[in-house]
Amino acid sequence: MGIFNWINERVDIRGFSEFAFKKKVPVFYGTIWYYLGGVSLFLFAIQVMTGILLLLYYQPGAATAFESVKFIVSKVAFGWLIREVHAWSANLFIFFAFLHMFTVFFAKAYRKPREMTWFSGMILLILGMAFGFSGYLLPWNELAFFATKIGSDIAGAVPFVGDFLLRLLRAGDEVTGATLTRFYGFHVALFPAIFTVVLGIHLVLVQVQGMSIPPELERIPEKHRRYMPFFPNFAMRDALLWLMVLNVIALLAVFFPWELGTKADPLASAPAGIRPEWYFMFMFQTLKLIPGHIFFIEGELFGLLLFTFGTIFWFLVPLLDRKAGKGQRSRFWTIIGVLLIVYMIMMTLWGYLV
Amino acid sequence: MKHSSVALLILVIAAVAYTDIPLTSDACINCHRLLDEELEPGEQILKNVFKDIHLQVGLSCADCHGGNPDAYDDEDEAMWDDPTFRGEIARMDQPEMCGSCHSDPQYMRQYSATVKTDQIDQYWTSQHGISLRNGIDKVAICTDCHGVHGIYPVKDPRSQVYPLNVPSTCAQCHNDAQYMGEFNLPTDQFYLYRTSVHGKALLDRQSLSAPACNDCHGNHGALPPDVVHIADICGTCHVNNNRLFQKSHLKNIFLKRGFGQCEACHGNHGIKKPSDEYLNWEHGAVCVQCHKSAGNPKELADLFYHTIDSLKHQIILAKELVSQAEQKGMEISDLYFPLEESQKVLIQTRTSIHSFNKDLLLETVKDGFKATDEAIQGASAALIEFDQRRKWLFIFSLIITFLIVVVYFKIKDFDRMQRNKNQ
Repeated sequence: MGIFNWINERVDIRGFSEFAFKKKVPVFYGTIWYYLGGVSLFLFAIQVMTGILLLLYYQPGAATAFESVKFIVSKVAFGWLIREVHAWSANLFIFFAFLHMFTVFFAKAYRKPREMTWFSGMILLILGMAFGFSGYLLPWNELAFFATKIGSDIAGAVPFVGDFLLRLLRAGDEVTGATLTRFYGFHVALFPAIFTVVLGIHLVLVQVQGMSIPPELERIPEKHRRYMPFFPNFAMRDALLWLMVLNVIALLAVFFPWELGTKADPLASAPAGIRPEWYFMFMFQTLKLIPGHIFFIEGELFGLLLFTFGTIFWFLVPLLDRKAGKGQRSRFWTIIGVLLIVYMIMMTLWGYLV
Repeated sequence: MKHSSVALLILVIAAVAYTDIPLTSDACINCHRLLDEELEPGEQILKNVFKDIHLQVGLSCADCHGGNPDAYDDEDEAMWDDPTFRGEIARMDQPEMCGSCHSDPQYMRQYSATVKTDQIDQYWTSQHGISLRNGIDKVAICTDCHGVHGIYPVKDPRSQVYPLNVPSTCAQCHNDAQYMGEFNLPTDQFYLYRTSVHGKALLDRQSLSAPACNDCHGNHGALPPDVVHIADICGTCHVNNNRLFQKSHLKNIFLKRGFGQCEACHGNHGIKKPSDEYLNWEHGAVCVQCHKSAGNPKELADLFYHTIDSLKHQIILAKELVSQAEQKGMEISDLYFPLEESQKVLIQTRTSIHSFNKDLLLETVKDGFKATDEAIQGASAALIEFDQRRKWLFIFSLIITFLIVVVYFKIKDFDRMQRNKNQ
C-alpha cells in the first residue's frame, strides 16, 4: 500500500478505487453479455501491443513492404507469432465488437440515457472495420492489392464525391505505393488517434452510467434485483475469459497461420477468388447480386446507397426507437435486428460457399 | 469477231447474276469466273483468288500469265492475239517465272525491306531443283508447296507453308508410296514424325518453336542432311548438346564409322522424348547398340545414370519437404530459389551426357546437390520449428489453463465471501 499512499498523497486516486469497489454489476440471464465489451477492449490492447512490435521492422512502400513482412515472419525472433497474433486478434476484435453491438441492441441498452454510448460504440465498430481494411493492404500481397482495388472502386461509385473519395483513398488514380503509404498512415496514426479518443469517451460513459439492464428487469423492485461487485468478482470473470481468448489466439496462430502469399504486381491480371475480409463479405455479396440497373439508378450505386443509409439508420436507432426510450417493449426493432443478423449470415455464407 | 464479243458480253452479264465472285476491272477474272461455274470445285481457279497475296498487293493475272486484262469484249484480243500471253505455265518454267519477280531485290523491296530474294537460286541447288533441271517434272515446284491462285503469305496460318501446315504439305508427295515409288525413297517419314516428340509439340500442342520438315531439311534448298552435318542441324536448337558433342572424343569416331551423330542415339523422323533410361545399361541403354560388351562405356553410363537418378531423388525429397512445411503455414518462399536451381542443374547434367566426360558430369551436378541440400535443410528447419511452436504452444496452454483454474477457484472464493457478507 506504500506506493498507493505515496501517489494518493499527491493525486487523489482513492476516489477511483472506491468507485471500482462500489461499482455493481447486475446479475441476471444476460450477465454474460457484459463480458463482450471487455473482450473487445482486451483484443484492442493486444492489437496495440503487437502493432507497435510490428512497427519496429515493418517498412511501408511498394518495394519494401512485402519484403519487410517476409523478414518479420521468417527472420525476426517470434516475428511470426507477433504477426499471427496481430492478424487473428484483429479478426476476433471485429467478431466480438459485432457481437457486443448486437447484444446491446437486443437488450435495448441504447435507450435513454445511453444514446451517446451507442453512438460512440458504433463509431468504434466502423473504425475497427476501417482498421481492418487499411491493415489488409499493408503486407502488399496479391490478394490484398486486388481486394483494395475493388474496395476503393466501390468508394469511387459514390455520387458527387466518389471521385474525390477514390483519390483520397488511393492517393492517385490507381492503387500504388502511394496508396500503401497512405493506408499505413491511416492504420498506425490517424485511426488509432481517433479510436483512442472515442474509446475513452465510450469507457467513461459506461463507468459513469453503469451497466444497463433490459427494460423488463427494470420493472423488478430494486431490493429483489441481484448484483455482484465489479471488483473483484466481475473483473476476475473478465480475466478468466481474456485468458481463454488468449489461449484460442495462440492456438489459431500456430495451427491456422495467415499466409503471406505472393507479392503484389500491379501489372499482373487479378487472380481468381479475390474477396474481401469476412466482415465485408455480406456487403460484397449483396453488391454482386444487385442487377446492373435498378430503375434509373446504377446497381452498384444503389447498393452503396443502401449500405450508407442502412448504417446511418442503424446509428440513429436510439433516436428512432421511441418505445424503448419510454421503457416499453419494442418488438419491431427486435425483429429488424433478427432479420439483419440472418441476412448478414446468409450473405456471408453465400459469398464463401457458392 | 462481233459474235464472239456479244457472246462475251452476255457471259459477263450472266456472271453478275449467277456467281458470287465480284466483277472487277480485270477482264481475265470477269470471263474466267464463268468458266469456273462449269468446273468441279477442286478445279476452279478463282475460288480463292481474291485472298491471294499477289492480288492483294495490286498484281493481276496478266503479271504471271501475260495477255491483255483490259480487253473486256474480245477473247482473241485478251489472249490469243496478245504477244505477252503465256497461258498455263509449264512446270519446268515455273521457278523462273516466279523468280522473275522474287529474285529481283530492287523489285521485291517495294513490298518488304527484309524480303529474301535467293529462293530460286537455292531451289536449283535442292534435290527438287536438280531433278527438275534433269527433266523430272514430278518433283515439287513453287506452286506445289505455296499453292496457286490463292497464295497466302508464309506467316498466314492458312498458308500451306505455315509451320503447322508444312508436315502435311510435304506429306502430299512424300507420304504417297505410289507417287514416290520411282525415287526409291521411304514414305513413312510423316507417320514417324507425327508420333515423334517434335511432331507432337508442333501438331498437338501447336508450339511454333518445334521443328517442321523444313527446319531440318531446309525449304527452298531442301536436301537430306548428310552425316557430317546432322549435329549442326540439331544444334540449331539444341545448342549446348551440340557444343559438348563437338568437343567430345566420340565425334571423330562417329564420323569415321559413318554414324549419324545425334541420329545414332536419338533417331530421326520418329525421335522420341529422351529418357534417363537411355543410360540404363540393363534396360534400354542406347549405348549398347554399338558397345556390345561392358567395361569402360558401361561404367560411364552407370555413373551418369546413377548420378542423375540421385539428383532426381534429392529434388523429389526437397520438394516434398518444402511442400510439407508450406502446408503447415511456414514461410519458406526463399526455398523456391534452390528448388528452381536444382531443376536447372538437372537439365544441365542431362545435357552434360553429350560430352561423355565424367569430370564435367561431376562438376555440373555438384551445384544441383548443393541446391537440394539447401532446400532440404531449410525445409527441415522449418518443420522442426513448427514442431517447436507446437511444443511451446502446449506449454503456454498449460500455463494459461493453470491460470484459468486458479482464477476460477478465486472467483468461487470471492462469490462465497460475497454471499457470507450479504447474509
